[in-house]
Amino acid sequence: MMLVKAFRADLLKAKGKGLWLLVCLAPVGLIAMQALNFGLRYDYLTSIFAGKLWIGLLDNLSMFVPIALVMGITIVCSLLANIEHHTSSWKQLLALPIPRSAVFGAKFAVAAVMLGLSCVLLTLGTVLLGLALRFGIEMPMADILALSFFPYLASWPFLALFLWLCMTFRNQAVPMTLGVVAAILTLFGISEWVPVSWPMLAFTGPKREWFIGAGLLVGAIILLIGMLHFSRKDVH
Amino acid sequence: MKEWVIETSALSKRYKGRYAVSNLNLKIGKGEIYGFLGPNGAGKTTTIRMLLGLIKPSSGAIQLFGQPLHKHKLSILRKVGSLVEYPSYYGHLSATDNLEAIRRIIDAPKERIGEVLRIVGLSKEAKRPVKGFSLGMKQRLGIAGALLGNPELLILDEPTNGLDPAGILEIRELIKSMPREFGITVLISSHLLSEVELMANKVGIIRQGELVFQDTLESLQQQARGSISLRVSEAERAMVLLDGIGVDSSLAGELLQLDSTDDAVVSKAVKELVMAGHAVYRAEERRKSLEELFLRIVGEGQG
Repeated sequence: MMLVKAFRADLLKAKGKGLWLLVCLAPVGLIAMQALNFGLRYDYLTSIFAGKLWIGLLDNLSMFVPIALVMGITIVCSLLANIEHHTSSWKQLLALPIPRSAVFGAKFAVAAVMLGLSCVLLTLGTVLLGLALRFGIEMPMADILALSFFPYLASWPFLALFLWLCMTFRNQAVPMTLGVVAAILTLFGISEWVPVSWPMLAFTGPKREWFIGAGLLVGAIILLIGMLHFSRKDVH
Repeated sequence: MKEWVIETSALSKRYKGRYAVSNLNLKIGKGEIYGFLGPNGAGKTTTIRMLLGLIKPSSGAIQLFGQPLHKHKLSILRKVGSLVEYPSYYGHLSATDNLEAIRRIIDAPKERIGEVLRIVGLSKEAKRPVKGFSLGMKQRLGIAGALLGNPELLILDEPTNGLDPAGILEIRELIKSMPREFGITVLISSHLLSEVELMANKVGIIRQGELVFQDTLESLQQQARGSISLRVSEAERAMVLLDGIGVDSSLAGELLQLDSTDDAVVSKAVKELVMAGHAVYRAEERRKSLEELFLRIVGEGQG
């Protein structure tokens, strides 16, 4: 299938571009921050979260997961698009016998897989940190997984949007600026009708599944529009 | 009926009311090396991008291998190799990996990478990151990429742009070998006629988006007829003398110009002049170069 071919080509091109490093560093950074937080205030935090230590850890982490996700999405999309922008490789790539929708879809798949991997690492990191902090073996696995993956799924609108913007504009300043703004806005819980609030609400709830569903749906719609535009536009 | 590999009819591309390409009727036959000439900004790259499906024509039709491009884009592009303007490459990857990134999409056999690297003479540099390559090497890598899928048609946009003379020679030899060794039809664009005349057998000249000449190179050469100029001791008297024996000539400064380049006429003229006591210092052929003709063709209509 064409998408798989383009996906494999994209994996090769992503080699040595710092993308994988970023994918690993982001969750490591989040975990390190909490290690520092709990390490410095261990007695205080364990006393206020007594009896629900794991939940306390997840609460502290959850503040930063959406902002890190949207930042990560912006940077990953920009780096991926830049591989082609950098030496104007679009004209070479798009003159190959492959539908443009497959090119676009493959980039989306690469970005989604990379960020998904970050989320897997976040799960592992959370578990390891909790154990290292001696929070006990009885961990709320469902909540740990929810924190790692629900905000990710709810931020698909941004994944689709920033991928589209980064691939359309040669100048990455516009998508980067928008990405940083969107990332900061995830912190404020503006309204449940605005997509920037969804990554947070997808974990804190209530009705998590609504925000996950809305995220995936809007993400898919933006992806389709982006694909359609990318398939029709002139390549210079 | 001749089999056209590329045939466009009334192909036009309009940007904001201005025609970048207008009413273009290209006809390129199988096995030809077609030199697509024109000054910068005449619409060469726009045309080539349309041929590759990178941009959409505003009007007109493109047929490649006898099929409309917009309907059979993928199956057509499978038979086309291209290099558009300055080379595209992934600087952080080695030459092999650059080709591998293309190969994964077009499904060529793995051995083909080694083959095309050999054809363009980059086998030794295969493992080096491309960002350290010279422009000529990058350009050759671009051609290697274009050859990867065993194309029947090679579309090269200014492939010698920015190369040094040795690099130009290399690329030229490479391109000339394509129809001979692999049966590939080549469309090569350039803004330099001197470039193209050494490899092309058919020439199309585009000026301000319009095709103003399209024929064989010989026919262009015939239009650029030469003349013989003589430097003699007394040009005016010599002219009168030549007039007397029926050789047409004209004065160009101190030089006497014979319109005919026929050997018999030239030798007769020189003999007569010497016999009549004129000193003939020099007799040289001045070919009105193709370049001059080209410049005249592309210069017309520019005020």
